[in-house]
Amino acid sequence: MFATLLDQTLAVAQRIWLEQWRQGRGLIFWALFPALMMLLFGLVYAHNDSMRAGLDAMAAGVLMGAALFFSCLGGTVAILVAERERRTLRRLLASPLQPLAYFLGVVLAQSALAAMQVVMLYAIAYAIGARYHGSIALGALIILLSVFAYVGLGFFFGARFARRSEEVVVALSAFGVPLLVLGGTFFPLVLMPQAMQTVAHLNPILYMNEALKAVAAHGAGLTELRAELAFLVVFCILSLGLGVSSYRHLLRLERSA
Amino acid sequence: MLGIEGLHKRFGSQTVLDGLDLQVARGEIVGLLGPNGCGKSTTLNIVCGLLDADAGQVRIDGEPLSARTASRVGLCPQASALYRDLLPAENLEFFARLYGQGAMQRRKRVDYLMQRFELTAHAGTRVGRLSGGWQQRLNLAVALVHDPQLLVLDEPTAGVDVQARLALWGLIEEMRDGGMTIVLTTHQIQEAERLCSRVALMRSGRVAAVGSVTELLARVPAQAVAVLQTRDEAATTRHAKALGWSVRPHAGQLLCLLPKACSLREVVQALDGGEVSSVSLQPVTLEHAYLELLGQPLEG
Repeated sequence: MFATLLDQTLAVAQRIWLEQWRQGRGLIFWALFPALMMLLFGLVYAHNDSMRAGLDAMAAGVLMGAALFFSCLGGTVAILVAERERRTLRRLLASPLQPLAYFLGVVLAQSALAAMQVVMLYAIAYAIGARYHGSIALGALIILLSVFAYVGLGFFFGARFARRSEEVVVALSAFGVPLLVLGGTFFPLVLMPQAMQTVAHLNPILYMNEALKAVAAHGAGLTELRAELAFLVVFCILSLGLGVSSYRHLLRLERSA
Repeated sequence: MLGIEGLHKRFGSQTVLDGLDLQVARGEIVGLLGPNGCGKSTTLNIVCGLLDADAGQVRIDGEPLSARTASRVGLCPQASALYRDLLPAENLEFFARLYGQGAMQRRKRVDYLMQRFELTAHAGTRVGRLSGGWQQRLNLAVALVHDPQLLVLDEPTAGVDVQARLALWGLIEEMRDGGMTIVLTTHQIQEAERLCSRVALMRSGRVAAVGSVTELLARVPAQAVAVLQTRDEAATTRHAKALGWSVRPHAGQLLCLLPKACSLREVVQALDGGEVSSVSLQPVTLEHAYLELLGQPLEG
């Protein structure tokens, strides 16, 4: 039973990797966008003496926002929409593929993509002058929780709302970019008016950003980040739950289509 | 092999299947023929386990549908449901893996299907760059990846050109000759006539008539069909009936069922001009059988 689940999970993940590899241009865009954001913001921070202190935190923000948000959340939505458009979802439904294996396969594929983005972005950040000060294990845990949460949300949006591939980019821009700005991805929270800060505290991306920034830039440890980590764990569980239930909903819809 | 009894399915207020019964013996090709919305695809979806019936039973080799019976069924959907950025063998390999085949078994099966469906010549081409006909071949090959006993084909040649259609018919005939049991839906009379050992004519979610093509044609009381275009339908109908022909109005024309074979010249002479503007003579086909037995055209 477990062996079947594992093999099917790997089969789904490998298929997604192979497709992403073949869609060379898509893969380049996944790399290009966060790399450019890191370069541009990094150079701005490094150039201004008053802002240089924020360089280490900025790298964490760009990773959480410009990279993982679009690849793990947007990428998951795109995978689901493509399965529906190509009608492969019906074929998968007629096969013995376990729904959990499909879900885990997408999580695994997106996690690998995220890992590559982490390595790439921190290499650029290091070249610009940013340094990582905290525990790598803790940073990895925060990133992993964030990836799971983003993929869960991707399943939610992909299964419940997005119907066509054209809608994915528009929806991500419309809802995603404001969430990123409000999540402190590009500007520190202190620069925002009080009302915006209040709203920002309702945004889960803020907690991902703040947690990773605290570890990366200030070397914060587990005890100092208890509140953020607790929030992240709860949010991650909620997102994955929402994702699983949305995927089941999508399968029901597809069966009756 | 496949037994369907009293199948009912509703979508909201719409009844799609209304007590459908059908038995399919091992090694048969049975075609479901009927107009859009008559329940053909819904029947196939239930057989493949994609949909649950509201009532009734589907049995495969006497067993109710379950995960075990599902592995004996291969589905070939109407549109080619394939991963367009993968190569043909990669598509086959992926689905074979989902069916739990080990690496060696997979490789053998993929090689066999690539050769049998003559896909080796396109082995290095991404699926999205293959023509519709080749994609449909691969679509069919994927349905066979786990060596099913029952193959379900939803309009297997819809949207492909004539050459590809003939090639696909040849492949389906090979499978039939190899003893595979096949249930297919089609809109094409020619396809049903060529491939099917029996045809189930469907109307309003039921099988209205079932039999071999010869049996169904024998139920049409005619040796040939004269298709008339007339300026005065009522007068021509009276005239034809007086000649002992059965007349069926259809798509702005009159179909006259001729009780004995005769030439076009004889038909024209018998009609004696009148208001008839054109006459053509056709052999009796499944389309006429459908019209005669069900009282409505296939494309309705």
